[in-house]
Amino acid sequence: MPTVRNVVKKNFFRDSVQLLHLSEEAKKLPGVIDAAVVMGTELNKELLEKQGLLTREGREAGENDMIIAVKAVDGADIEEIISKIEEMLTAPTAAETYYYSIESAIEHLPGANLALVSVPGQYAKEVVKPFLERGIHVHLFSDHVPLEDEIELKRFAAERGLLVMGPEAGTSIINGVAVAFANVVNRGPIGIVAAAGTGLQEVSVLISRAGSGITHGIGVGGRDIKSAVGGIMTLLSMRAFEADPDTQVITIVSKPPSPDVQDKIINFIANEGKKKYVTCFIGGKDYEIPPVAKGRLVQTRTLHAAALEAVRMVSEDLYKEAVKKVFLPPEEVVKIAEAETSKLSEGQKYLRGLFTGGTLTYESLVIFQELLGDVWSNTPLNKDYQLPDPWKSKENSVVDLGEEEFTAGRAHPMIDPTIRVQRIVEEAKDPEVAVLMLDMVIGYGSHPDPAGAHLDAIRKAKEIAKEGGRHLVVLAHVLGTDEDPQNAAEQERKLREAGVIVLPTNALMALTAAMIVTGRTDEALVKSFYEKFLVGRR
Amino acid sequence: MSNVEKILELFRSEVKIVNVGLEYFYKELKKQGVQAVHVMWQPRPKLEKDLEEILDKIL
Repeated sequence: MPTVRNVVKKNFFRDSVQLLHLSEEAKKLPGVIDAAVVMGTELNKELLEKQGLLTREGREAGENDMIIAVKAVDGADIEEIISKIEEMLTAPTAAETYYYSIESAIEHLPGANLALVSVPGQYAKEVVKPFLERGIHVHLFSDHVPLEDEIELKRFAAERGLLVMGPEAGTSIINGVAVAFANVVNRGPIGIVAAAGTGLQEVSVLISRAGSGITHGIGVGGRDIKSAVGGIMTLLSMRAFEADPDTQVITIVSKPPSPDVQDKIINFIANEGKKKYVTCFIGGKDYEIPPVAKGRLVQTRTLHAAALEAVRMVSEDLYKEAVKKVFLPPEEVVKIAEAETSKLSEGQKYLRGLFTGGTLTYESLVIFQELLGDVWSNTPLNKDYQLPDPWKSKENSVVDLGEEEFTAGRAHPMIDPTIRVQRIVEEAKDPEVAVLMLDMVIGYGSHPDPAGAHLDAIRKAKEIAKEGGRHLVVLAHVLGTDEDPQNAAEQERKLREAGVIVLPTNALMALTAAMIVTGRTDEALVKSFYEKFLVGRR
Repeated sequence: MSNVEKILELFRSEVKIVNVGLEYFYKELKKQGVQAVHVMWQPRPKLEKDLEEILDKIL
C-alpha cells in the first residue's frame, strides 16, 4: 500500500513558481509516486484532494502555511523523503548574489533603469515608490494592487516623466528585452501601447511574423484605460512614441476603454499626434474618425487586424505578402472547416475553449458573440452566461484558466499546465463536444515546452472520443516566433503530429471553431467575417 | 504636457533591471543576457500588536 504523508510548515512562504519547481524535483526522489509542495490555499487543497495527496494535517493548513505532500511506495522511508524535500526548500537557490534590500540592489547595478515588481499587490506601493523616487521606470506585474495605490503611483510617476507599466501588466518589450511574459520579435518601426497582456504578445508576434517589427511594447495594465485612472500611462506612452524618432506607427491595444478615456485617446491622436495610428479596442463600438486624423488612423476589431493594419501602414507590399503567406486566405479556412465538419457524429455540437491568455479568451468571446450568440464562460461578456461552476463547462464554453479561481497560490497556466491537462481529458468525455480550442503561449516567461506538456492529454482526449465513436477536433494557436526559446515552428510541428489543427492567429482559431460547430462552411460567411473582423476601418 | 525625456532615455539605453518578487522572472532575464539583479523580497512578518506599537515609538 502506498503511504501518503503531509507536513505543514506554519507561516512559511515561497512563491508559486519556486514551489512548482520544487514539486517537480520532489517527484523525482526515489520511492516517490507523487508529490506536491504548495501553499495551503483552498484551491491547492482541493487539487491535492483530487490527486489523492491530502491528509488531515494538510486539510488544516491555512493559506500562509506551506504543505509538503508525498505519496510513496510501500516500504519507502517517507520521513527521509520529507527531510530531503525540506533540505531543498532551504538550500540556496542559485550561485548568484541576491540582495535583501532595494537600496543595495540599486547600488550594485549602476545605471539601473527599470524595475520588474511582482510582489503581492498590497505591498506594491511600498516597493514601487523607492524606484520612482530614484528616477527608475517600473513594470508592475502584481495583481490585487488597490486602485487608489495605482492612481497615486501613476500620478507620482507621470509628474516625473516615468513609466509605471501595470499593475497586472503581463508583458512589455523594451529595447528588445522581453519583460515578464513576452516574445522575441523583430525590431522595427511600430510602437505598441497595450492595456491587455496577451494582446500585446499576439500583436507583436503577428507584426514580426508578417516581416515588420516593433520599437517597444509598453503594457500599461487593464485599469489604465478606465475613468478612475484616466489613461495616465496610455497617454504618456503615446507622447513618448510621438517623440521617439524610430517609431513611425503607434498601435493601441485594449478592451473597450471608458468613453471619457477613449475620447482623450482619439483627441490626442487628432490634435497632438502627428504619426500614424492603429487602434484595437476589442469588443468596442466603432467610433467616428476625426476628419483631421483621416488617412493616418485606422480602427480594428481584432488583434489579427491590428497587426496587419500596422504593417500596412509601414509597407503596402509587406501587407500583401503577409495576407497571402502568414494569414490564411478565406478558401483555406473553408477547406479546413469542411473537412472537420464532415467527420463529426450526430450530437457533437459544442466547442470548449481552454485558454491561458486573458485577452485571447476575451477576443474569442467577442467573435463568438457575433457568430454563435452568447457562450458560457468564467469571464462572460453577458453576465447571464457566467458558468455556475468554472470547473465544469456547459454547451459552448470558453474558460480563462489564468483567472483567480484557477491560480490562487499557484503558478499561471502558461507556466504550469497541470489544470488544463486534466481539463482537456474531462472535456473529451462529453459526447456533445465537437471542438477543443487551445492557446499555446510561448516566449520568455512561459513553460519551456507547452506543446510537449499537452501532447499526452490531447492524444488521450482523442482516444476517449474515438472509443465513443466520435471525432474530436482539436484546434490550437501557437503565440510565438521561431526565435522564441521554445521555437514556434517546433511547437506547431509537435501539435500537428498529434492531430491538432494549428491556426496562425487567435481570431482565425475562433472563426474556424465557430464554423465547425455550426456547420456553416460557406465562403460568403467567411468573407463577411474577414471584412468585419480582419480588416480595419479608415 | 508631461516631459517624456526619461522615457526616451530608457528607449535609447541598454535595459538594466532590478527584479523584486518572483525569482523566476530574474532567471528569465538572465537567460536573455540582460543585466539584472534580484531582490529577495519577503512580506514583513506580522508582529504582535503590542510589539508593533513599541517599535513604532522607538523607530
